Amino acid sequence: MSSTGLARYYELRQGAERQIAPGGNSSIDYRYLDDEGFKTKYARGHDRSQIEFFVEGVHCAACIWLIEKLPSIVPDVESAKLDLGKSVATIKVGAGGSFAKVAEKLAWFGYRPHPIESDEKAAELQRAENRSWLMRIGVAAACSGNIMLQAVALYAGLAGEWAVYFRYLSLALFLPVLFYSATPFYKNAIASLRTRTLSIDVPVALAIVLGAIVSTYNLRNEHDHIYFDSLAALVFLLLASRFALKRIQQRNLGGSHLYHFLSPSKAKRLGANASSIVEVNTAALLPGDLIEVGPGEVIPADGVVQAGASAINSALLTGESLPHPVGPGDQVYSGTVNEGGIIRVTVAALGAETRLGKILSQVEGGALKKAPIVIAADRISKWFLLAVFVAAIAVFAASADFSEGVNRALALVIVTCPCALALATPLAMSLSMKKAARRGILINGAEILEKIARVRKVVLDKTGTLTYGSFEVLQWRDLSQGAIRGIDAAVLALEERSKHPVARGLTKFLRERVKSEAAAPKEFKEEAGVGVSGLIGERFFEVRSLKPDDARRFELSGTQVGVYRDGTLVAVAALGDKTRSDAREALKTLGALKLTPYVLSGDNAQVVAAVGKELELPQSHLHAQASPEFKSAFVKEQDPCIMVGDGANDALALSSAYVGVAVHGSMDVSLRAADVYIAQPGLSHVARLAIIARETMRLIHRNFAFSLLYNLAGGLAAATGHMTPLIAALLMPVSAFTVYASTLWGTSRLRKNT
Amino acid sequence: MNIITILLPLALLFSVSFVVAYLWAASKGQYDDLETPAHRIFLEDEMERTKR
Repeated sequence: MSSTGLARYYELRQGAERQIAPGGNSSIDYRYLDDEGFKTKYARGHDRSQIEFFVEGVHCAACIWLIEKLPSIVPDVESAKLDLGKSVATIKVGAGGSFAKVAEKLAWFGYRPHPIESDEKAAELQRAENRSWLMRIGVAAACSGNIMLQAVALYAGLAGEWAVYFRYLSLALFLPVLFYSATPFYKNAIASLRTRTLSIDVPVALAIVLGAIVSTYNLRNEHDHIYFDSLAALVFLLLASRFALKRIQQRNLGGSHLYHFLSPSKAKRLGANASSIVEVNTAALLPGDLIEVGPGEVIPADGVVQAGASAINSALLTGESLPHPVGPGDQVYSGTVNEGGIIRVTVAALGAETRLGKILSQVEGGALKKAPIVIAADRISKWFLLAVFVAAIAVFAASADFSEGVNRALALVIVTCPCALALATPLAMSLSMKKAARRGILINGAEILEKIARVRKVVLDKTGTLTYGSFEVLQWRDLSQGAIRGIDAAVLALEERSKHPVARGLTKFLRERVKSEAAAPKEFKEEAGVGVSGLIGERFFEVRSLKPDDARRFELSGTQVGVYRDGTLVAVAALGDKTRSDAREALKTLGALKLTPYVLSGDNAQVVAAVGKELELPQSHLHAQASPEFKSAFVKEQDPCIMVGDGANDALALSSAYVGVAVHGSMDVSLRAADVYIAQPGLSHVARLAIIARETMRLIHRNFAFSLLYNLAGGLAAATGHMTPLIAALLMPVSAFTVYASTLWGTSRLRKNT
Repeated sequence: MNIITILLPLALLFSVSFVVAYLWAASKGQYDDLETPAHRIFLEDEMERTKR
């Protein structure tokens, strides 16, 4: 990084906790960003020169510095601006500028960029709405503050014409609150009355309007009871807490249009006589076309292999971490990765018709089905409100005197304003969500926390939660006991030349061991599904899957590899997915929370059993070779449960689950299906999420209990005439503040505990 | 106490000017992003220096 004069990044980063890895994802081909078709969909501005990226991994001042430095690094970039809160970078390029170059640079920095589909109208609307909320809150705050100042004088015993002067002034100050700040409540109240549902806004609007009318009436008749101070404070508090919740939701909903990252946008189509190769957009492919897929490329469509042999990684669809061999006549699926040699495929199905496309459409159907649960969460507060209305009408009817009846009913409505429901619950939720977001846990809606707290079962997809999801050397045994020198160097020299995942695992492992490198191999040969071989010096080395006779001799778990020197076995290695370092600890935490873990995996039974044994999980809770369909059915069977998974292969299960938690690396699709997205892999974050949810619910229950007690006592006092509307209105902000303080204290304690 | 007759509206007028300033700032989008500018302030000096 110092070569581009960006070394200051590291200076700035000191003190920042997390690390970024330059060059982490630079292998992605971003050229499609400059396609005209892509630009019309994603770029903004009249000349399509502006684009927004959701950038993964930005977290500190150094990241802002680095990203906003882009204009001086990439040619023809006019400006770059980062919104740290949303993780959105806005890039503007000049004539001849290239979005692809910007994206490549961002990826090279280690911030993986995802273009955000431009919906200028929606974004503009949201911005305007946020600003108008802020203005309403500001006006309410200023007015209620000033009214309170005058109320102090009035309560202190101001009398005579000065009292009248002060009261009219507070009326004047209340008018902006009544006619400007509080309008959202009226709108919501009218909307909910129109749909014949009872929302919290109905009594709030009623209290504001009635309070204003009664106060003005009393003011004109020189009575004492005016409530402008309390009403203004109520409006301000309610607006502020609503806005806080709104902002956190908007922030967490960002970055969900990341769909197209799954399948490639380009394909190599063979001409009519199969001699020329033309690069075309995937959308231009037709069933029956012959396409070529090179090593490391994603297959763009479902089809049948015509020629070539290779290994295909279908992790996206099946969750299987090992690539499986394919040859002519075999079916391959869109979204899977070719990890071996070049293959030619006849296209059979495209886009939504592919297996991946079908899974994705099911996911979207599942996402829609969730809405009724959200509505159900409001039910308690509705019953409460209904009860209060009925009680108020009853109290009014029971009073002999008209004005006394109005007073009692109004006092009842005001005093029983369900502050814990209206204020503290969203506040506690939003503070917890914010806290979770800071730890890289994005929760897609407040009710999810409640659901997580209720669940007692957690279903884990092995990859990404319990294991790392890549090949690692678990065992390496030198059979010659060190008598033959340079075995590891020879293996390294051979494996370095292969792109197979097993070879990558071995290379990574051996690089650290080998001190003196072996000569370059002669007659190097790679045989798909078997291994590699070549001449190192005089000796003929083969690194390949163990011959059946030898495999019986060594009982190794995972994928077994043998090293043969001139035909004799000299070393064996076992490779597999290593168990994550935090898995054991996190399982213990889950156990303490009384969450029972179940493990699902697309891998074979042997691999899953080994992981289960290592982590001391009961064998009956492990399920190997699970297809997406099985996972989904299993999750439904275990309802209610939390499903933790990653990748499109789990998307169906995630959306079928009571709560779906998607872990790192699968953001693109998983966000659509999952309720929670965790930006870092590992089970410890899942445990943390469970703790946060439980603590938040405990806090909300405490607030509920307080509110219930307060409402009961207050309601009784009001109904029996021991409480005037004035005292009720005075108590309201007091009770609200108590709940507010309790919530703040509770969530700050939460911060320490997790 | 008559001074209050003038002082109070004056004080209110004064506070109205702050509210107007706030409304102007909010409508111009100065509160759209509350997080990034707080970090950006640390970078300003260095940026100036590199420009020169």
